[in-house]
Amino acid sequence: MKLLKLLAVLLACLVWSEAGFAHHVLGRPSYSLGEDSNTPPGMQIDTQIGNYFVTYMIFPAFPKAGERGRVNLYATRLDNGKALTGQVAFKVRDDVMFGDNNEEVLGTQSPDDSVFRQGFVFSGDGKYIITAEFTADGEPYSIDFPLRIGPPNSIGPIGFAVGAILIVLIGVNLIQRKRLLHTKIRRAHEETSR
Amino acid sequence: MTMTHPGLPDFWGLIIISLMLLGVIWVVFSPLPAQFNLSTFSLARLPLLGRGFRKLSASRWLLFSLKLIVVGFFLLIIIAGLFGTPIAERNIATVLTWNLWWSGLVFSIFFLGSAWCAVCPWDTLAQWLVKRKLWKRHHQITSLNLRVPRWLQNVWPALALFIILTWLELGVGITSNPYATAAVSLLMVVLATISLALFQRKAFCRYFCPVGRTVGYYSQLAPVELRPINHDVCLNCKTLDCYHGTDEVEPCPTWLVMGRLQQNSYCTSCGNCSQSCPHENIAWRLRSPSVEALHSARPHWDESWFMIGLLALTGFHGLTMMPFWEIWMSDLARVIGDSGRLLWSFSLGLTASVAVIASTYAILVAITKNVLGTDLPFKRMFSNFAFVSLPLAFSYHMAHNLNHLIREAGNIGSVFLNPLGIDTLPLSMMEKHQRQIDMWLSQDVIFSIQAGLMIFGFWIALQVVRYRGFKLVPAGTSFASLRLFPILMFAILVTGFHLWLLMQPMIMRM
Repeated sequence: MKLLKLLAVLLACLVWSEAGFAHHVLGRPSYSLGEDSNTPPGMQIDTQIGNYFVTYMIFPAFPKAGERGRVNLYATRLDNGKALTGQVAFKVRDDVMFGDNNEEVLGTQSPDDSVFRQGFVFSGDGKYIITAEFTADGEPYSIDFPLRIGPPNSIGPIGFAVGAILIVLIGVNLIQRKRLLHTKIRRAHEETSR
Repeated sequence: MTMTHPGLPDFWGLIIISLMLLGVIWVVFSPLPAQFNLSTFSLARLPLLGRGFRKLSASRWLLFSLKLIVVGFFLLIIIAGLFGTPIAERNIATVLTWNLWWSGLVFSIFFLGSAWCAVCPWDTLAQWLVKRKLWKRHHQITSLNLRVPRWLQNVWPALALFIILTWLELGVGITSNPYATAAVSLLMVVLATISLALFQRKAFCRYFCPVGRTVGYYSQLAPVELRPINHDVCLNCKTLDCYHGTDEVEPCPTWLVMGRLQQNSYCTSCGNCSQSCPHENIAWRLRSPSVEALHSARPHWDESWFMIGLLALTGFHGLTMMPFWEIWMSDLARVIGDSGRLLWSFSLGLTASVAVIASTYAILVAITKNVLGTDLPFKRMFSNFAFVSLPLAFSYHMAHNLNHLIREAGNIGSVFLNPLGIDTLPLSMMEKHQRQIDMWLSQDVIFSIQAGLMIFGFWIALQVVRYRGFKLVPAGTSFASLRLFPILMFAILVTGFHLWLLMQPMIMRM
């Protein structure tokens, strides 16, 4: 049934091409200026979950450790555009693949002009995941957004590249030496047996 | 608010459709061609300039200087991507990689064939790291020189990498992420280095590199080729220095023998053959851009899939930049319960796009086989007609990229002045509008070039159907041209789809 629904949507997509006005590409960060003021640029991610279209903003766009920042969340229903009411709980955890991610509650916010605002101050640089949780239509919603404090780790990709290349080159060199040694020994055997 | 580029006006659409109709009528009612007339002109035979061209073809210094420049820019991309601003339009890593190189590459093939591969920084850096020589032939064995396993001696790995690259580019969005752009660039150097350290010659360029294979197949449609000046010299050659190399010059990196070379697909334009030939018999020559697709290129199963994949992914690129793509993805995400970056929805869209093009092609090939009543195996028919997809993909790719290249490269000067984008702010709406106004080609010129490209691609596709069809139609078949209509239908459908895409407003990338 789900497959049929999926095929129906794909088919509908192929035949229906009403032009719409897209926002930023869903799920990707985009940076924008505050057009009417001298505030620093903000970062925005648009996405959707369940019946809601969610806009997530970070001010400033490039927050630093020890400096105050703010997350804004704005969610509207996909079917009728009505803004989310109720409360949103914001949590934060380290963005790590392995190990302890140290989840902490940032706070629970009520809407202010339909926008849920959560302030933060981080003590250290790093990659974090902000989780926004709310309940709507009796269903729990939980959505993750990335947050980077400070500059990214630039040495990581260089270290990986240099490391991988070194391992391969050293490995090849060792194998070649072994091969040469084997060839020399074989030749020596052949010469002595003649 | 998202900025969009205007689509091709209806006026141009009508002209293209009219010319397509005339072309189809001509093909259906004209007899199939009996033979292919091959005409070429070697640049080495030009009066006065010929000797200069010959010297340039064999010049190591020219190539080495170009490689140095390209490697310099590549390292700048890595540094800017990793240490510069994350604002894509202010960082040279994203602007140079995606707006200039990736968009411009396809145009360089149109004029210079596979010349890019000769200066490719991934291969140059791998060569320097593994061989430890800047340009001369190395004699120490620094590579394991393993034979590429038989199951890898095809372009399936390149097709898989091309799909992954498309997924990263359009799904994950590395085009708007300088850090990811630099990381992927470094990864390509690592892959090229590992391949060079393990396998004989340049297996990476021949079998694995998605960009190299794209350049290779598109360069079948280039008006230039590196070939012998006099074929008799090659026929009598006993040393085959082009294949084996000399004391000073490396052998052909992709195992080609110049005397037998028929197609550009695997030539990387590295110039080793022209440098090593003791008779100075290799030089650039001009030719009809359709010669290989129509006649010379030999069909192979894996290559035909790469060409169909290229066509599908090219159209998919265009589709994802339409304003309604987001709505499609949003609807799909609701059905499958996707959220966040909607990568599952995107992956399904990508799979569906490739599947629709490939299955449409396969069905139409099967119908053509049925209508022709030929005993030829389906695989051979599939491979043979796959060349139809090349001009269709190439022409749309250029028409689409023209928007990126002309309309989005307006701030190229400012990123060269501040490559890392230090202390820069995102583009304001005013600046975005200004870029649209300050294009270095007028909008009408862009539209006319796009229309010309679509007609060029369709015309060559028609010719491919005629010439390739001629070889497959049994002698004495009545209404031979008409029986090729199903495969002609493929060219019509794909061009129609591409034209529709071009006529839509397109979202500005950065």
